[in-house]
Amino acid sequence: MSGSKPDILWSPHHADRYVICDSELGLYRIGPVGCSETKAGALPLSVETAATLLAINSDTPYMKCVAWYPKHEPECLLAVGQANGRVVLTSLGQSHNSKCKELMGKEFVPKHARQCNTLAWNPVDSNWLAAGLDKHRADFSVLIWDISSKFSPEASVAAEKIRLSSGDTDSGLVVTKPLYELGQNDACLSLCWLPRDQKLLLAGMHRNLAIFDLRNTSQKTFVNTKAIQGVTVDPHFPDRVASFFEGQVAIWDLRKFEKPVLTLTEQPKPLTKVAWCPTRMGLLATLTRDSNIIRLYDMQHTPTPIGDETEPTIIERSVQPSNSLIGSFAWHPTSQNRMVVVSAANRVMTDFTVFERISLAWSSTTSLMWACGRHLYECAEGVGGEGTVEKDIATKMRQRAQSRYGHDTVQVWKNHLLAGGDDPQLKSLWYTLFFMKQYTEDVEQKQQGSKQALVYSGIKNIVKSSSGTTENRRCWSGSDRQTDVPRFHSEERSLALRLCGWINRGPDINVEPFLRSLEGEGEWERAAAVALFNLDIRRAIQILNKGASAERGDLNLNVVAMALSGYTDEKSSLWREMCSSLRLQLKNPYLCVMFAFLTSEPGTYDGVLYESSVAVTDRVAFACMFLNDSQLPRYMEKLTSEMKEVGNLEGILLTGLTKDGVDLMESYVDRTGDVQTASFCMLKGSPGEVVKDPRVQCWIENYRNLLDAWRFWHKRAEFDIHRSKLDPSSKPLAQVFVSCNFCGKSISYSCSAMPHQGRGFSQYGVSGSPTKSKVTSCPGCRKPLPRCALCLMNMGTPVSNCPGTGHGTGKSDEKVDLTRENKLAQFNNWFTWCHNCRHGGHAGHILSWFRDHTECPVSACTCKCMQLDTTGNLVPSDSH
Amino acid sequence: MFVARSIAADHKDLIHDVSYDFHGRRMATCSSDQSVKVWDKSDNGEWNCTASWKTHSGSVWRVTWAHPEFGQVLASCSFDRTAAVWEEIVGESNDKQRGLSHWIKRTTLVDSRTSVTDVKFAPKHMGLMLTTCSADGVMRVYEAPDVMNLSQWSLQQEISSKLSCSCISWSPSSSRAHAPMIAVGSDDSNTAYSGKVHIYEYIENTRKYAKAENLMTVTDPVHDIAFAPNLGRSFHVLAIATKDVRIFKLIPLRKESAVGSSGPTKLQVQILAQFDNHNSQVWRVSWNISSTLLASSGDDGCVRLWKANYMDNWKCTAILRGDGSPVAGSSSQAAVPSTAGGPQHVLLQASSAGRKKAQLIPG
Repeated sequence: MSGSKPDILWSPHHADRYVICDSELGLYRIGPVGCSETKAGALPLSVETAATLLAINSDTPYMKCVAWYPKHEPECLLAVGQANGRVVLTSLGQSHNSKCKELMGKEFVPKHARQCNTLAWNPVDSNWLAAGLDKHRADFSVLIWDISSKFSPEASVAAEKIRLSSGDTDSGLVVTKPLYELGQNDACLSLCWLPRDQKLLLAGMHRNLAIFDLRNTSQKTFVNTKAIQGVTVDPHFPDRVASFFEGQVAIWDLRKFEKPVLTLTEQPKPLTKVAWCPTRMGLLATLTRDSNIIRLYDMQHTPTPIGDETEPTIIERSVQPSNSLIGSFAWHPTSQNRMVVVSAANRVMTDFTVFERISLAWSSTTSLMWACGRHLYECAEGVGGEGTVEKDIATKMRQRAQSRYGHDTVQVWKNHLLAGGDDPQLKSLWYTLFFMKQYTEDVEQKQQGSKQALVYSGIKNIVKSSSGTTENRRCWSGSDRQTDVPRFHSEERSLALRLCGWINRGPDINVEPFLRSLEGEGEWERAAAVALFNLDIRRAIQILNKGASAERGDLNLNVVAMALSGYTDEKSSLWREMCSSLRLQLKNPYLCVMFAFLTSEPGTYDGVLYESSVAVTDRVAFACMFLNDSQLPRYMEKLTSEMKEVGNLEGILLTGLTKDGVDLMESYVDRTGDVQTASFCMLKGSPGEVVKDPRVQCWIENYRNLLDAWRFWHKRAEFDIHRSKLDPSSKPLAQVFVSCNFCGKSISYSCSAMPHQGRGFSQYGVSGSPTKSKVTSCPGCRKPLPRCALCLMNMGTPVSNCPGTGHGTGKSDEKVDLTRENKLAQFNNWFTWCHNCRHGGHAGHILSWFRDHTECPVSACTCKCMQLDTTGNLVPSDSH
Repeated sequence: MFVARSIAADHKDLIHDVSYDFHGRRMATCSSDQSVKVWDKSDNGEWNCTASWKTHSGSVWRVTWAHPEFGQVLASCSFDRTAAVWEEIVGESNDKQRGLSHWIKRTTLVDSRTSVTDVKFAPKHMGLMLTTCSADGVMRVYEAPDVMNLSQWSLQQEISSKLSCSCISWSPSSSRAHAPMIAVGSDDSNTAYSGKVHIYEYIENTRKYAKAENLMTVTDPVHDIAFAPNLGRSFHVLAIATKDVRIFKLIPLRKESAVGSSGPTKLQVQILAQFDNHNSQVWRVSWNISSTLLASSGDDGCVRLWKANYMDNWKCTAILRGDGSPVAGSSSQAAVPSTAGGPQHVLLQASSAGRKKAQLIPG
């Protein structure tokens, strides 16, 4: 500290007070913002704390260093070292008890004037104040003053004078004889008392660190080093000392004082302050000149002089309390990791706490746990989130799994509602899959297998195979004007239109049902556009009028209708000119493409085909009607690659469930991570083709893994069932075979389908109408099955003779009323056993036993059967 | 959006790592107090410590769970130069009755001559494998050939990189198109050695890991590294905690030739995002299960959550102070009229957060 560069000192006893010293001393009290005590003139230190200036002391000019008296009483006594080497005792605040008054203003003067560099109160014998001075020829540089010492004779004479002339205080209370004089012919830059013994003083001298022992002042331990500034003892480890030189900090172990145990990475700029954190083990804060960061060294493990082979573990950190350059800082003596920082200029103060390094982890259910210091915090995604923030895909997939998304195999389109019904891409996808399915079913009824394979291969492939295209020019309905708009027809094009959802089954192109459903959903503009593309201007106008008069309808639709009714096909008309320029200002894409259609030349419909905000289905349907056989495949190709590029699910309409479709889905998954949709969608494809694609298998595995991690085991099982229906190859083999103790054959009745089972046993199977006694015996050798450990009856009952299904060969009336109760009752009859001790019995008996017991019911068996499997004790989170 | 609550951890020193199990119902923490604690979530959502035991003779840096199909298995690594594998056993005492479980050490991996800084289990499709990395720059791959015998681990490979290693991450992809991959980060503070992240790939022919990529642009010390859950994607995403948060996309260039090639896959490296909002060192990064949310923690005492929109633009969606209270961006700025905007308001909040934290610490 030099010049007017500020420094901070926390009060040793008042946790809310500190002193800032620059050119004067200022005492501050820190308190919460808005607290009545701190309200007036408080300076904000942080969001929650503010400081109030309690007192200012500008009596002591040329301050070089300050030290706060360590004892409770007098509470606000400060020693100030001055540029001329004098040490003055001064005070801040109101305390005016007798002891303080006596000490106040007392001066300790060295023989020769030179700068006082450092001061240190002895923490035990608090009358002792050590002062470190610059060098002056052969004079001593470390002086230890006794503040309670009586004035030297000369001084007491002076004191007499004061009593007579009370105005002049400076000339009195002067002490010139120190208790100890040390460090002859040297300079002292830093001092600190060693907590090991009150008589040991560590001093940073000119070229060495020295330990003075006051019990024998002729002796000193020293080590030559340049790192002699800012010596400070670790409050948690009394043998550990830090000192610095320029940009380098040295850490010393006093038990092994020959060389530093450790030097920290050198900083490019000289250090100004180094301080151990008093509230946290092994945390050293350092500050360099002209810097706005405080560098922290977290010494989790440092080499000890004994086991010196260990590598140090020092974590270097940096914190930035504020944007301004830092003048100085001081750790709070008791608050954990807290410090006050003062800026280099303007005395801007900041209350700042250093956080510990935070480690964190996400759980599979999107809750975040982190550890900060010794504390854990869990943070879950709040329910009732704001509408503005889009839900994370993981959350969405969980909700969709719970609403049975993907499982509606009849009304396939409904899956988009199960997914929340707010995603246009999913809507388009599931409608496409629905139309594909509907078509294949129709084809099946008509027994025409030829088109079935084609329909899942997407419109792109369908139109490629198109043949026998006819072209016709139709009149505008409701007007006798001949259009010169050629429209193309073929069987494949009709199929495409069907997949787009524009037309229903049947040979006619009748869009009326589609228009009505659009009207029903309030999609007036889209309906109007579809009507117009079917060359029915009158219907389009009618739709627009309806839309304008509908509830919350847009009156502007009437204006659009008006504009439409003025349609003329004259090339140079004003109508045409205005429409083609003004249409771009229409906000609704469908209104825009309507005019684009009306104003474009036949065959060049780029304004419609490349309007990306129009649904892909509508653009494809439009293309199928108005593009000729050479244009159409080219357009499909282009649109498909565009869809593949961005991973737009609407493109599945074009690609179908082919390799192209998998490519498209891949970029969708890359973009969103939605393996759920990808899995369900691809399972709709014909087995053996896309499902075998390794990427599809990978999505399915990832989705199953997600369900498992969420403990949606029921959903996973349902998914597996769903999957095995569509992809029989995925069916897993039976996992457990129970064999008879005597003959070693499986005791199962219904597993004759299993290839490796012996022939001999099938003759004992269900066909033989076994009596009741037989089901308690092995079907192979007729020996009785083991007994239940609890009821001691042989295992096997009519309902339990088919483990794995629960109702295999039961009586027919039992099958009918399979209520929940009944199902559980049947489960009670199942075989169950502990795989560890291999004792077992009826599931119901065993379950009820373990409700009250931990050990196996078999005598002398101490197996804790029910606790063996931790995962087994987890409850599925999707059971109701 | 996010609400945090505090859990009394009862560790006697700093907690260095926290790790969830596969189902998110169990958690493990490790600390400088040389112990590991296991926590179980009760049905009402409370976390109960069910085991706490001294694991090492030094700070325990990391703890991690194996997939539950291998049993209830933990691995820990420590300053004491070892890594250890632990298994929960039941049936020998009545501890479970009292809500406690018993963990026993199955093996100690003593190959390292310096502090073991990270340990991670391989994704389950690779079997029971784990890697460690240590302060002297050695990465080791271990395998338990018999998954039923957790006390036998064979050292498969040692890769020495000269730079001290701080963190390690397996690529979680189970796709057959992706070879097993490990990323290792170094916290060596010398920025002259560029490329603080090395990526190794398993080569089928040699049955060894070989260096596939070195991220040369990462020159500052790396403190944490995390591959994002792959979730069927065709590429890898890697988050790195260094002086900022970085997200890299690693796109394997598909080889047209046969699979059994001898060299590692070429990776096309793209940087997706880079954020210095923590204003200083970033310590940890963690991905959520769908790799759409990234959490990071830094020396500003805050946890930040990052999310990408459909355009792959990553944005900060939430800031949480170390003590769990949310930081409301604009409103809190108004509360500090004397400071000029920008990142400062966050820092001030971090400082005031400490006030609360100080009150929370018992004794």
